[in-house]
Amino acid sequence: MSIHHLVALDRLLSRERTQIHENWVSEILTSWSTLHPNTFDVVEMRQHTSHLLEEIAKIFSAYPGVGLWEFGQTHPLVRIMSEFSASRAIAGFTPTETAQYVMCLKSVLILALIRELIESPTEMELNLAAVEDVIGRLTLVTFSAFVETRERIILQQSASLVELSTPVIRLWDQVLLLPLVGVIDTARARKFTGNLLEAITRYEASVTVIDVTGVPVFDIAVARHLMRTVDAAQLLGTRVVMTGLNPEGALTLTKLGITLPQVITRATLRSGVAEALALIGRRIVTVASSPS
Amino acid sequence: MRIAIPRLGRILLVAIQQDLSDDEALEFQSNLLSTIAEIEALGVVVDISALDVVDSFMARVINDTASMARLLGAEVIVCGIQPFVALTLVEMGRGLLGADCTFNLEQGLKSLQRRIASRGDYTLAEETNELII
Repeated sequence: MSIHHLVALDRLLSRERTQIHENWVSEILTSWSTLHPNTFDVVEMRQHTSHLLEEIAKIFSAYPGVGLWEFGQTHPLVRIMSEFSASRAIAGFTPTETAQYVMCLKSVLILALIRELIESPTEMELNLAAVEDVIGRLTLVTFSAFVETRERIILQQSASLVELSTPVIRLWDQVLLLPLVGVIDTARARKFTGNLLEAITRYEASVTVIDVTGVPVFDIAVARHLMRTVDAAQLLGTRVVMTGLNPEGALTLTKLGITLPQVITRATLRSGVAEALALIGRRIVTVASSPS
Repeated sequence: MRIAIPRLGRILLVAIQQDLSDDEALEFQSNLLSTIAEIEALGVVVDISALDVVDSFMARVINDTASMARLLGAEVIVCGIQPFVALTLVEMGRGLLGADCTFNLEQGLKSLQRRIASRGDYTLAEETNELII
């Protein structure tokens, strides 16, 4: 049996709902003024906030008191806010902008309450505490939904990074080419090393050209992964030619004491390919009667 | 002091004329590396005949520079190591692993040419035109 304290809030939210809604929307628009106007639809936002205000009014009319109010995952408000927050996260809003959306309502309600209850401090205290409680928790819901969505996006991106194919190309009989592009992490390194070893055995490759022109960052971790790839390839009896290392990469490897003595290193893929062909006793020559 | 790095086609010649401070040695290292990368050098000859003393830091810089140059696809020859310097390097347990050594610059260039001529990319037309023979 809960005693109903929040007469003032109820009164405000029924009598002046339109005004409060207007104030809220204008607050949001002010705090989002720096945003690109195309990133959100004002009409849609109005509908959304109006719906939200309706749900918040329901909570206040049945409010049992600070800390007594349960806010489960299935609560319609939680659902609405989570969906909204997730859509903001995908649209590229910052967490602050997303949280401001709810926070703006707090200042609007507090101002209205102060005007309404200036004569009765006790009642004002109760009402203010309730506003703090409800909006505070809603903000937390917004925030955690935002973060969850971001996490999900990050997970999906990591998964797609691993899936970024690193093809093993057959350059010539017994010559394979492994062009590495992008960020090399443990998962990717394991994947392309596996692919490479499989290809080496399948084609009985005697030379493998590993091209690292497309690897932007050459840190300790990347160097170690590459060392493993090179070692494994050499264990299968293939010669390794590494091409496209940049000065920073050379510096990193040397500082780590990795000198790759049994690897042939060349500046460009072009000279790497020439080297690989020389190793299998071929070379490219000019044909006298070239059709071009 | 700044060490000049003259070019002979796609070969770089470096003569270290005096003892370098640690910072100067590292600056020389990064200059040489960026030049190698820039012109895709096929070979580097480092002449250190003017050095009477090589401390452990300088020995390491020369060693590291040689292995970095090799990783960037250039052959490296160090020439003109003074007997006393050779003794010091050996005492310190440092052979110049990353590079071949020759007695003087002329032998260094000859040996470099031999090594480049045995490389696969020597068959690429442009490279052969750019070499000094």
